[in-house]
Amino acid sequence: MTLGLLAQAGDGVAPIDTPGVAWSALSPILVLIGGAIVLLVVGALAPRRSRIGWHAMLTVAVAGGTIAAVVPLWDRVHDDGPYSAVASAVGVDGFSLFVTVVIAVAVAIAALLTDGYLRREGLEGPEPYVLMLLSAAGAVMMASANDLIVMFLGLEIMSIAVYVLAGLHLRRRRSGEAAVKYFVLGSFSSAFFLYGVALVYGATGSTNLVRIARFLAANTLADQGLLIAGFALLLVGFGFKVAAVPFHSWTPDVYQGSPSPIVAFMASGVKAGGFAGLLRVFVATFGTYRLDWQPVVYGIAVLSLVVGAVLAVVQTDVKRMLAYSSINHAGFILIGVQAATDEGVTAALFYLAAYTFMVAGAFGVVTVVGRRGDGHHHLDDYQGLARRQPLLALVFAIFLLAQAGVPLTSGFLAKFYVVEAAIEARSFWLALVAMVSAVVSAFLYLRIVLVMYAGAGDGADTDPAAGRPRLAVPAAAAIALVVAVAATIGIGLVPDPLTRTARDATPELVAASD
Amino acid sequence: MLVSSGLVSSGLVSFVLGQVGRASSDVPLLTAAVVLPAVGAIATALVSRRRPESARMVATLFSVATGVVTVAVLVAFETGEADFQLVEKYTWIRDLDVAWHLGVDGISLFLVVMTGVLFPIAMFGGAPHHDAKSFYAWLLLLEAGCIGVFLALDLFLFFVMFEIVLVPMYFLISGWGYANRRYAAMKFFLYTMLGSAFMLVGLVATAVLHARGSGGDLTFNVLTIANDQGSIAPMTARWLFLSFAIAFAVKVPLFPVHTWLPDAHTEAPTAGSVILAGVMLKLGTYGFLRYGLFLFPEASAWFAPAMVTLGVIGIIYGAVVATMQRDLKRLVAYSSIAHLGFIALGTFAITTQGLQGSVIQMVNHGLSTGGLFLLVGMIYERRHTREIAQLKGLQASAPIMAGVFTLVMLSSIGLPGLNGFVGEFLILLGSFLTRRWWAVVAATGVILAALYLLWAYQRVFHGEPDEDNAGFAEMSFREGMVMAPLVALIVFLGVYPKPVLDRIEPSVAALVAHVEDGSDFVEPSVAEAGTDAREETFAEAEAAEEGSGGEGGEDGEGGEGG
Amino acid sequence: MILAATPISASWYLGLSALLFTVGAVGLLVRRNPLVMFMCVELMLNAVNLTFVTFARELDDVGGQVVVFFVLVVAAAEVVIGLGIIVGILRRRPGATADDLSLLKG
Repeated sequence: MTLGLLAQAGDGVAPIDTPGVAWSALSPILVLIGGAIVLLVVGALAPRRSRIGWHAMLTVAVAGGTIAAVVPLWDRVHDDGPYSAVASAVGVDGFSLFVTVVIAVAVAIAALLTDGYLRREGLEGPEPYVLMLLSAAGAVMMASANDLIVMFLGLEIMSIAVYVLAGLHLRRRRSGEAAVKYFVLGSFSSAFFLYGVALVYGATGSTNLVRIARFLAANTLADQGLLIAGFALLLVGFGFKVAAVPFHSWTPDVYQGSPSPIVAFMASGVKAGGFAGLLRVFVATFGTYRLDWQPVVYGIAVLSLVVGAVLAVVQTDVKRMLAYSSINHAGFILIGVQAATDEGVTAALFYLAAYTFMVAGAFGVVTVVGRRGDGHHHLDDYQGLARRQPLLALVFAIFLLAQAGVPLTSGFLAKFYVVEAAIEARSFWLALVAMVSAVVSAFLYLRIVLVMYAGAGDGADTDPAAGRPRLAVPAAAAIALVVAVAATIGIGLVPDPLTRTARDATPELVAASD
Repeated sequence: MLVSSGLVSSGLVSFVLGQVGRASSDVPLLTAAVVLPAVGAIATALVSRRRPESARMVATLFSVATGVVTVAVLVAFETGEADFQLVEKYTWIRDLDVAWHLGVDGISLFLVVMTGVLFPIAMFGGAPHHDAKSFYAWLLLLEAGCIGVFLALDLFLFFVMFEIVLVPMYFLISGWGYANRRYAAMKFFLYTMLGSAFMLVGLVATAVLHARGSGGDLTFNVLTIANDQGSIAPMTARWLFLSFAIAFAVKVPLFPVHTWLPDAHTEAPTAGSVILAGVMLKLGTYGFLRYGLFLFPEASAWFAPAMVTLGVIGIIYGAVVATMQRDLKRLVAYSSIAHLGFIALGTFAITTQGLQGSVIQMVNHGLSTGGLFLLVGMIYERRHTREIAQLKGLQASAPIMAGVFTLVMLSSIGLPGLNGFVGEFLILLGSFLTRRWWAVVAATGVILAALYLLWAYQRVFHGEPDEDNAGFAEMSFREGMVMAPLVALIVFLGVYPKPVLDRIEPSVAALVAHVEDGSDFVEPSVAEAGTDAREETFAEAEAAEEGSGGEGGEDGEGGEGG
Repeated sequence: MILAATPISASWYLGLSALLFTVGAVGLLVRRNPLVMFMCVELMLNAVNLTFVTFARELDDVGGQVVVFFVLVVAAAEVVIGLGIIVGILRRRPGATADDLSLLKG
């Protein structure tokens, strides 16, 4: 609207009409960015080393503030319906707010894990936390974008911060490699995404999702080639971000090389941002053209499910295993996307929320077991863990079994909802493939569990891990793990609140009323 | 002597329980039966690791208490009613209309009681050698899951319980099993989970398609869906039945998907084997009854020939392979496949007698095979081998144990007067009505059972003990007390099965009627219908079968002489 | 002469940008020098810019031109971060190519 005014202004000296900015609508993003800046300033002024993890505590507080900022918005959306702000560029609906909370939780858990990690590795400074908050701001922006360009900016803000986070551990060569790989492939995919935006813009005449949706609903395109090509390129871009096959090749390498607590954030927060964008663009905006893109997403989902599960089985590095299993989980969430129904969106959101706790918790345990140098991630390093630290092993087993989809955990319900959505959409075979792939990946989780619980009953002298030192579990990491376990079991036992919230959180595209 | 003392004590116990059951008719008994062991599991897990004895105490207390509750359920159960009783329903997940919905009918009643009885026995009989606390905690969790499966009247709840039992069993096998335990545990978990994967899809599809067909809201209530047969197209229902059947076939296990069983049973610790054979296999056969016949009557009738065939193949295959086993425990494991084949045969004969036989045979198999696994465990404790070839002449030094073994084994073979006969006979009678030739083939399985079990008995217990076996210790008092209730029940059910059959019959007859309503299947009438007629036929046939059972015994005798 | 007679329509620009994008994408996949790979990304982004400007002119919508500014800023940010990461690696191992990044088998 503003742009149109600008063009019409011509030679007159009419003042530029800037859109009204409803700051309250942006408050979650502002809290995250503001928190990052405060953290940076405080970090510069305060001593870099301190016994108390001020930086982590501040980050958790910022994440809490973000959630607090969501509450009034949620109430308003609940009472008055969704609305959009800043000239229809940012949408405030149940969907964006739900994802915002998920991302904030991911930040909080990852920050708690990072604290102990940085101390152990002799790293310091507030920078990891700052980058994490900025990345989260980008992810939130993706979830609430009502304009493809805003979504692109969100994608880049999210990604660029994570590229640096991946290379956080400067002394580890693997960390640097992971950063380079992630950066090159990430910017490669961003370029695809952008090209997709350009083609959709060319086909529909707008980058605004509301206007695109209206245009597609009202007009039949004589030549769909441009639009379909745009879909394809956008899908490639999103596919890279959510680590779906065949755009997954970076995942195992980057997950293996990056610092473990950062991976916890990558697998939860960044993935949530990517999926939020995918749902918003494809399900909410391109819904009228679902017959064109559904088969492709179907194929990608099947590939992700199968490849993720099968390749995970042959790994011997726990981080790589979890990386492949995250590809499998991405396949599950894609089932929800593929359904392109309200049930599908609800299922995908439920899955994202449940998965955030499971995967962040799992990488939390990996962080602890990795020990100084963050290099002990081989399956053998988990040998007899149950003997030495039964609680830590039990916690890890819970996360793994939840990911396998054992009942009374959140993972089971997540899978249940996804399967339900697929069946509502009559994709019986997809549901079946998904569940069978879950069995294959259960093999992988059980393999880890088996190794952890091995040695019990074999007599003390045969314990290969007898001489190993006890692993130190930092207090902050312990809090994160307890929270994640509580959520995993709690959601599994009492899913009603989360389900009801997810039901209220389907994306709705609304133009600004101003 | 043991037998009589067992009888007396069980009579005493049941009297006390009767009082308890009557006093507590308002108490949510079924919820208690599921929740009590789960609470016990947590309580046991909280006991200090350094005090295995207190863990054992706590666990025993809870499992006995659960047994008391299940027997109270038996007492509170109204005989002659076909419907679900003691129903409890609390909403769990509002959004899916999933409820904590429990109920018991004649089909599930005795399975629940058997579970309640077998767990304390397994706990006494199969004490672990290390890490007692975790062992008992897992066992109690397993008990909660098993009872939950039998009582659930909600598809979702059922699936949750059906799946959750995998976890404790996995840990029991992999943590306390024998040499090859990791492989066996993994195989067990993956096989069953693969079956469940199909079932989950079928289960959700059932609920969704039912809601769509009936125009109502989504519900997972088994009763609603089962009594609303028109809402799912017959062809669809067959696919859905198939998805359930795969899961149950793995669990039972039926012939082509049975390969996890010998490994799991052999490698599991004694308590694990007892529960695995006694209770967990019944989850599959019970599933066929409740979620096969009851939920998809038309499809069940349509698939019946295939299922009956698989059952019969299982009977013969299990018997033949059992004959060739060199490991005593593996032999018992394969005999399970044969027995479960009988149960499948009786189930899919879809006659009142056949189904009655199946239900009672589920209980019988739990008692007799559970007992056999306990005895094999006792032998292993003493000799540290289960190789039949290494064992010889145990009878000489342990006559009481040999006697108990004989009795339990004869019950497994199906000797008249013992419980196994009642079940196998009813199954053969029922299936003869609808599947004559299958029944004839299955009957030869009875003879094969006599062959391999008696042959094994002869090799293990008879003859002159060599020096390795000379010092074989007699059954201790403690072991005797473990076996006593089993022996008592085996004899009691064999001599006087009427009270049990009376409680089973109405539900089973209603189930057959349900199948007839839902399909064009018609139960062929026996000479007359009704309880009296059954009693009569039963008596007649008992007399007739006496001869054949005796023959089996003589075969064994002949073998012994040789 | 003949070329001059042919009007340069929007399709030519779109074709050119598609070509540039492809060159960038293929270059990124086949070249092994991190810096060249990095330049390929820039090429891809700028090819998209050309597409945006072309469409903006076709649709007579200034929005597409504004997008270019956003993209330029993003590209600049990527340069800063990307060079930082690459220099960080190269400083430790001079002369590295992507093939040397082989600790993580992929």
